[in-house]
Amino acid sequence: MRRAAIGLLGVILIVLLCADWIAPFGYQQQFREEVGAAPCRQHRLGTDALGRDRLSRLIYGGRISMVLAPLAALVAVALALAAGLTAGYLGGWWERIVTTAMDLCLSLPWLFLLLAVRAMLPLNVDPTASIVVTFALLGLLGWAGPSRVILAAVKRHLASDFVLAARSAGCPPWRIALVQILPNLKPVAAAQFWVTAPAFLLSEANLGLLGLGVAEPAPSWGNLLREMENLSQVPSHPWVAAPLAALVMVVSCFQLAISTGEIEA
Amino acid sequence: MTNRCGSDAFGRPFWRAALRRLLCLALTVLLAAFLAAALVRVAPGFGMDERQLDPRLSDSSIRAIEAENARNGNLVRYFAEYFSGLARGELGQSVSFGEPVRDLIAERLGLTLRSVAAGVAWAWLTAAVVALALGLVKRRGWDMAATALSGGLLCLPAAVIALLALYLGVGPGVAIGAILLPRILRYIHNITGAAAARPHVLAARARGIEGPALMLRHVWLPASAELLALAGVSVNMALGAAIPVEALCDSPGVGQLVWKAALARDLPVVVNVTILIAALTASANLASDALSGSLGREA
Repeated sequence: MRRAAIGLLGVILIVLLCADWIAPFGYQQQFREEVGAAPCRQHRLGTDALGRDRLSRLIYGGRISMVLAPLAALVAVALALAAGLTAGYLGGWWERIVTTAMDLCLSLPWLFLLLAVRAMLPLNVDPTASIVVTFALLGLLGWAGPSRVILAAVKRHLASDFVLAARSAGCPPWRIALVQILPNLKPVAAAQFWVTAPAFLLSEANLGLLGLGVAEPAPSWGNLLREMENLSQVPSHPWVAAPLAALVMVVSCFQLAISTGEIEA
Repeated sequence: MTNRCGSDAFGRPFWRAALRRLLCLALTVLLAAFLAAALVRVAPGFGMDERQLDPRLSDSSIRAIEAENARNGNLVRYFAEYFSGLARGELGQSVSFGEPVRDLIAERLGLTLRSVAAGVAWAWLTAAVVALALGLVKRRGWDMAATALSGGLLCLPAAVIALLALYLGVGPGVAIGAILLPRILRYIHNITGAAAARPHVLAARARGIEGPALMLRHVWLPASAELLALAGVSVNMALGAAIPVEALCDSPGVGQLVWKAALARDLPVVVNVTILIAALTASANLASDALSGSLGREA
């Protein structure tokens, strides 16, 4: 099941990376005579209120969400590894500072933290900057949860026999940290990545729906969901829910990958 | 947390442990406030005031505005003034609403707390009933259905659940509950599943204890410390869920206030709500930690 989920994620990612060749139109291209059109041969998912092809925007939006959310998750896990490893290994004041920062980040609800920090950054920015700001925020603020798990793993490894053996053999501290402990953190870090990436996809969707995510005209699955704000039109126009279906499918694949991945970790 | 002599596991008196926790809470809230105020200062556009561009204002008025902004620019001074204001119950003036932040929060906090309480209660009640039923029935099909339902809800963004709640005409409390339900159900199922595998449950079964008595007395009661800790975390989750729910369901609570403040870059509101949320979540965690600690010790 896990392999199938990862395989499907891989296929989706490849399709989205080939957006320039697969998407029938550009994401900004307008068909002014076909505004809000129903699905037809030319526009498989119809067009939006500005006459843009919905399928093309879904593919291009997916490329932004599916590439940048895992990338932000990688940044968060890398930060968590750096913080957890140094705090666990060095201990003392540095550990206190890191754990206090962790507690501070975790004491605020995740969406609130994102919203509060996003409010302090300029809102009226160009689409590219909004993409960078949104995903950089996710990557830079999402380190606290994974770092708590990684710190616990570092402490566990520090008390293990192989570290004791390395110490007694005269191994320098940096070598113990980088050669003995860091490689053993790989399964924990991988599990944290699989947990964090779908959480970031959902966070971007929440921010997009609240109007604080990726700015128009750049598409992302988050801001494409804004078409669903008038939910009463969905039963008669089900194609409007295509971004939600894509998001649910991708997050489900991540969930399936996690459930087995966590056990393996 | 405490034994019968009123001391904790390390032999420290209870009041010392409690004081230490309260100090940690106060420090966390202070640190959140300080960081929020510091971030405001580095935010682009800080110190700029639209009033300075108003041609109707005289030079002296503009100089007064500049002096006011310069005074706010000094972080230490701002913080000292902020806390002296806080001691008098003043939280500053909202830029976008044009009202005192204290009044804005006061008129909205009750609604948010009611929604959060309703959501937490609804989610816990449903999750507890479902988890209890799953523990009693023990059918693979039911288990898979519950896993699929909670997994499906977990795949939906909180904002979409809020939209669904709006469409179905249910209140924000139910929407917050629906956001929390899959998370709480999953944790309760895992916690009670692990508790059910303990040897004392096997011994109780060997004595012929079955059904709800076994589940409640031998599985749920020993796991109550972990469940209480989860209750503290669920308050944090509910406060986070209140933002999209109130924003999209047009419920005029603190969640909607902070969303509107974020869209308008109304930083005085954002800073004060940050402090409020940090205090609320830290208090909920403190209460659940204290309760679960004492229950865990008794168990």
